[in-house]
Amino acid sequence: MDGVHRLLDRVDVRQNVVYVGFLVIFLFFSVTLWDTGFLSSRNLINIVLQTAPATVMAVGLVFVLSAGEIDLSFGSIVAVAALVGAVVMQEASALVGIAAALAAGCVIGAINGAFVAFLRLPSFLVTLATMGLFAGVARTLTDLRSIPITNEAFAGFFGSGSLFGIPSLVLWTVAVVALGHLVYRHTTFGAHVVATGDNAAAARACRVKVTRIRLSVLVLSGACAALAGLLYAGRIQGARYTLGEADLMIVIAAVIVGGTKLNGGKGSIIGALFGSLLMGMLNNGLILMGLSVSQQLIVRGLIILAAVAISLREPAR
Amino acid sequence: MPNVSNAPALRLTDIRKEFSGLVAIENCSLAIEAGEIVALVGDNGAGKSTLVKIIAGVHPPTAGTIEFAGKTVQPTTDANRNDVEVVYQDLALADQQPVYMNLFLGREKIKRPLGLLDRRGMIDEAQALVSQLDVRIPSVTATIRDLSGGQRQGVAIARAFHWAKRIVLLDEPTAALGVAETARVEEIIKTLRTQNLAILIISHSLDQVFRLADRICVLRRGSQVGIRRTAETDKNEIVSMITGLA
Amino acid sequence: MTIRLTTAIATGLVLFSGSAAAETVGPGGEEATPSATITVSDSDAETLRERGATAALLWHTSADFVNAVTDGATDEFERLGIEVVATTDAGFDAARQRSDIETALTLEPDIIIALPLDPVTSAEAFSEAAEAGVSLVFLSNLPSGYVHGEDYAAIVTDDLFQMGKQAADALAAAMGEEGQVAWIYHDADYYVTNQRDNAFMTTIINDYPNIEVVAEEGLADPARAEEIANALLLRYPDLDGIYVTWAQPAEGVIAALRANGNDHTRVVTLDLSEPVALDMVQGGNVAAIVADEAYELGRAMAAVGANDLLGNAMPPFIVAPAITVTADNVAEGWTISLHRDAPESVLNAAQ
Repeated sequence: MDGVHRLLDRVDVRQNVVYVGFLVIFLFFSVTLWDTGFLSSRNLINIVLQTAPATVMAVGLVFVLSAGEIDLSFGSIVAVAALVGAVVMQEASALVGIAAALAAGCVIGAINGAFVAFLRLPSFLVTLATMGLFAGVARTLTDLRSIPITNEAFAGFFGSGSLFGIPSLVLWTVAVVALGHLVYRHTTFGAHVVATGDNAAAARACRVKVTRIRLSVLVLSGACAALAGLLYAGRIQGARYTLGEADLMIVIAAVIVGGTKLNGGKGSIIGALFGSLLMGMLNNGLILMGLSVSQQLIVRGLIILAAVAISLREPAR
Repeated sequence: MPNVSNAPALRLTDIRKEFSGLVAIENCSLAIEAGEIVALVGDNGAGKSTLVKIIAGVHPPTAGTIEFAGKTVQPTTDANRNDVEVVYQDLALADQQPVYMNLFLGREKIKRPLGLLDRRGMIDEAQALVSQLDVRIPSVTATIRDLSGGQRQGVAIARAFHWAKRIVLLDEPTAALGVAETARVEEIIKTLRTQNLAILIISHSLDQVFRLADRICVLRRGSQVGIRRTAETDKNEIVSMITGLA
Repeated sequence: MTIRLTTAIATGLVLFSGSAAAETVGPGGEEATPSATITVSDSDAETLRERGATAALLWHTSADFVNAVTDGATDEFERLGIEVVATTDAGFDAARQRSDIETALTLEPDIIIALPLDPVTSAEAFSEAAEAGVSLVFLSNLPSGYVHGEDYAAIVTDDLFQMGKQAADALAAAMGEEGQVAWIYHDADYYVTNQRDNAFMTTIINDYPNIEVVAEEGLADPARAEEIANALLLRYPDLDGIYVTWAQPAEGVIAALRANGNDHTRVVTLDLSEPVALDMVQGGNVAAIVADEAYELGRAMAAVGANDLLGNAMPPFIVAPAITVTADNVAEGWTISLHRDAPESVLNAAQ
């Protein structure tokens, strides 16, 4: 009994809204869509496949927000990285293309990081600017043309390939979330990220290398966005300048609903995963319910509003 | 060769600090023995915080020497950083983190094979530390945000105590606390003395100074006015030293 | 920019048989079939009603045009007892379109009607549907490598080339076939607008030697149209005509003209819109609006899907006509194109 009490004491209701919400919505769709194939393994796996890129971006964003910064440019990084990878793969092997894409993401992340960590410019403004800058770069990289990817190895690794019957995108989701959670909760780096966002002056007083942390999280966000770009490219066997354009709000919502604070300090990788799955499940279920596009948008907006309100409302002191 | 084992934990000799030509501190000479509490008093702008920062290694002195246990040091370099711990006025605590993570902030314990955080180890060590100093908090896993001002102060002092090899500097430790909490924190500070640390406290409360300190160092307008043994002086003398009015 | 112009000329050469009477052909050179010839026979309709099939509408965006096509399709589906089980909007995102298709396939629709965003990336997206044997009817665009009859039933399109050409003809007529024009085109990789914009350009170059295109302005964000128009008018105050890629940015262009007190520059654009039509009817800058018969497009797409479901062979490339709407025929314009009444304000002003 004592153990249950202690468990309940440690359970922060606000932090766990996403899990409750996920369960509630899942049950709701399971009941109302019981005859449509919503619960089929095919459809449930589809939800994971469809949310994989967003989940990967969300992991990067959790680190950035926890450090007290924000990255608005990750959507543009997705497009640039995917295009870089696709273009490189026209001449070189999949491995080189993948490395090029990840490098592109890290470089853009480092640019963001340089302005934020060294020049101490507000990350909101810096990444707002680079968001536009690199959206333009993505357009000019191939003059708006879409680049097909015919590389077999790539298709297997990032597209429709599977290992032991599990689709590669599911494996990527699991791997990135597991690694992200491990680093976030169980390494010194993760502890320092969170401390920096909570109270940078305190962290600095305790000799945490705050500047290095800020740079690192933005590079990490760039790398995650690049990986998401590769996942997208695998899904559509090509790269296009519009990839990632629509993801900004969805990923931010997923991360915040998942329990990461907008102001920094405390966050959750697993929560972000469920936030992302929640968004994907919502899209999926509302389409299967046969709602018109306008109805889908309204309902989705209302549900997100409710979830955000519950998870951000400060408890009465 | 100086007899290092008998040397005071901290010795300042003729410390002078200028900021762009403005003299902030001059002719400050002070020695603190291990196990001794010295109070640093003076009016606003007297230079108390500046002196603390110089000892802590935030600013190098313009002139003068600093010795830790007889060895001349530059506190600004990393090698000497661990000799001194500071408890700042704003406490430098991460509000959303538990007590034990704050105690180990920047110096987290890790487990061998993979280098992952050793939370269990940190919790246990934190528990021992908190008991030793009798800091009364619900648990070392409690979040800082949920603690009272006095409890937070206790945590900050415990952290300084745990890591300091020689010297602990406290800047107005009970300025924001009520009577009961002030008494609690003063108990904790007195415990520090038994651990053989040299303690320097900035305080504007002469009552507190006379309760806690063995000696009192008075600054006025950047200049050291004098040092007195608490037992050999009284409030009136100290006040006249602070204000400069006889 | 040179790429765009080259594409325009190349497109013109492909779609053009050298004279002003252009024939639109499909992406693979297929002959065009008028949409009016695509119907569902009564006996077929009866069969379908008994069968109770399902369909999904997977769109690329939400707009008046899309709504009208949807109306045409759903009315026809209703008539045939086919239930629309899912509607989606990919927001111009190729990856989102892939997800929409995946999700819709869970409901196992018999027919899918969609606009593939771009040939390269939509090939993978629709492959699952093609393999499952769903009757695929594509609007305007075709995933690369898809084979008619095997992978998809037909492409149905508004006559994109004709629309651009009719816009050029209308603007030229309003300008007395001479003068200076500015070409505001859609600066994005979107087949529908690219085709129409380029057709306008090709027609002006080929058919109207006395009209000079003095400026080419790319527009990606419709909200910036007013700025672009202002800059244009600053550089060319005596501009005789402006072509605007579609109605929404045209609204911004008209606003700029009004702010400049300009009443001599003629404007022509594509797709019906209330503010633009109002300006036209009130004798403002707008000379004509070229509209496609969106409702008819939707009806034809539904008919194609239904026929394909029953195993009837369908021609590969089906074209719905375009109509030039001027102040004189504005009421019919709405009825024919969108299958509804024109907005009150427009009808009142037209009287």
